Amino acid sequence: MTVSLVIDTSTSRTIVGITRGTEVLWEGFHDGATDHGNAVADLVKKAMTQGVNPDRVVVGMGPGPFTGLRVGIAFARAFAAARSLPVIGICSLDAIQVDKSEYTVAIDARRKEIYWARYKDGVRVEGPAVNFPADVDGYILDLYPDVARLVALSDSQNEVEPFYLRRPDAIATADRS
Amino acid sequence: MRGPIVLGIETSCDETAIGIVAGRTLLANVIASSVEEHARFGGVVPEIASRAHLEAIQPALAQALKDAGLTIRDIDAVAVTAGPGLIGALLVGTSTAAGLALGLGRPIYAVNHLAAHISVDYLTHSNPVEPTIALLVSGGHSSLLKIDDITHSITKLGATMDDAAGEAFDKIARIMDLGFPGGPAIDRSARDGNPTAIDFPRGLTTSEDWKTRPYDFSFSGLKTAVARYLEATPNYAKADVAASFQEAVVDVLLQKALAACKESGIDRLVIAGGVAANSRLRHLAIERCERAKIALAIPEPALCTDNGAMVASLGALMVAAGRPASPLAFDASSSMAVETVSF
Repeated sequence: MTVSLVIDTSTSRTIVGITRGTEVLWEGFHDGATDHGNAVADLVKKAMTQGVNPDRVVVGMGPGPFTGLRVGIAFARAFAAARSLPVIGICSLDAIQVDKSEYTVAIDARRKEIYWARYKDGVRVEGPAVNFPADVDGYILDLYPDVARLVALSDSQNEVEPFYLRRPDAIATADRS
Repeated sequence: MRGPIVLGIETSCDETAIGIVAGRTLLANVIASSVEEHARFGGVVPEIASRAHLEAIQPALAQALKDAGLTIRDIDAVAVTAGPGLIGALLVGTSTAAGLALGLGRPIYAVNHLAAHISVDYLTHSNPVEPTIALLVSGGHSSLLKIDDITHSITKLGATMDDAAGEAFDKIARIMDLGFPGGPAIDRSARDGNPTAIDFPRGLTTSEDWKTRPYDFSFSGLKTAVARYLEATPNYAKADVAASFQEAVVDVLLQKALAACKESGIDRLVIAGGVAANSRLRHLAIERCERAKIALAIPEPALCTDNGAMVASLGALMVAAGRPASPLAFDASSSMAVETVSF
C-alpha cells in the first residue's frame, strides 16, 4: 500500500498527515496565518517519527494566500527531491469535505474576497475563482482541506502549478500617474 | 581534504540561486533571475519575485547538482539565506531548505545574507583573512563592518542613514532613463564620461561628520544634487553625469573604508555585495589600497551579485568552525541584523 506524506498550507491552518492507502495513520495541524514556515517543518518532523517512509508527497496547490501556500509547496517539492519521490498536487478546495450532493465551499482570500468552488455529485462544476462574498451564492466558509480527501483525489488529479487566481500587485513605471 | 559538501540557497530578492561548495572549493553556482520581469516596474515587485522563486528553485537545484557531478544524497549540509530580504521571497528558500534538510536527514544552517556576501571571498583564499574591515555595498545595504570571525563575530562600524548605494544607482538611472538595474547601466554609460566633469557632493564628509559619524553614509543629498543638475541642464551630457555621480559614490565609500582600516589598525579590506561589481569601484579600490598598503580582496564580479555559492561558502565555514546547526523551524527575517550571522 502506498504511503503518502500529505501537506496543505492553503488556509491559515497548516495541515500535515501520513496515510497508508486511504487510511490516515497520523495527522496534525497548527493554526496561525503567518506560521506556515515553522509549522510545516515541525509537523513533518513529527510525522516522520511515526516509523513509516513515504512513497510520495501529496500537496495542496491552493487557491490560498500566496505566501503561506508557497511554503507548503516549496517544502513538499524539496522533501520529495531529497528522497526522489513523486509530488502530486491537488486543488485544495476540492479536498474540503461536505456531506451534500450540491454545495459551494469558500476560504478567506483576504482583501474582503473569498476563494471558492462549486460541486455537484462530487465533481467541481465551477471555480476555483476569487470574488467578493456578495457575488457568490450560498457558500460554506471556514472549513479546511481534509487529509484523507487530499489523498483520495490524488488518483484522479495532479496540479503542477499553484492556483494564484490573481495577478501580482504592481504598476508599470510607464502607467504611473 | 575537500571538506564538507554544502548546498547554499539564496532567494532574498530577485535571484533564485543555488550554489554547492566542498569546503572552500566552488563546485556549482546556478542563478536564475527574474530581473527582466521587474524592469518595467522600475524595481523589484515582491510577489513577482516570490512566484519566480517557486518556479525556478527546483530546476536550479537539479542544474547545480548536475554541474557539480553530485547526487542530492552527497550533500552533507544545507545552508540558506534566512534574512534580510523580502519575506515572501525568503520563505520559498527557507521552506525548500527545511524540506531538503529533513528529507535528507542533514543539518541546516540559516545564515545572514550580508555575512554570506563577505564570506564568498573566503573561497578564493587559502589562509585566514581575519580580522578584516569589510565594505558591504548592494541594492539594499551599505555598511562598514569589522569582521573578527565571519562565522560568529561581526561588528557594525557604520551604515547608510538613507539610501543604499545600489538604490542610489537605481534611482539616478531611472531619472536618466538608463534602465533597471541602475548599477550596470550607469557603469556602462560612465565609461565614456569624465568623472570630474561635475563636482557632486560627498555625503557625510564634513569635518564635523568625520568626528561624529565617520563610518556612516548618506546618498540622498547626492541624489537630489544630481536631479537638480539634470533639471537645470537640459542638454546635459549623460556620460559625464553618470561618471561624476558614480565617482561621488565610489569616492566616499572608499574614503570611509580606508579610514576604518587606518583607525582600527587593520590592514585588510574586503569589498562585497552587488555594487562591488562596479568597475570604477574596483579600479579605484585597487589604486587607493595599494597606496595605503592595505591588502584588498574583492570577489570576482559574478560572485558579488546575489548567488548561492556565497551562502554555501558561509555554511561550509560554519561546519568547519564547529558552529551549531540551526533548528529546523526558524523564522526568516526581513530585517536580520548584520551582527546575527545565523539563527
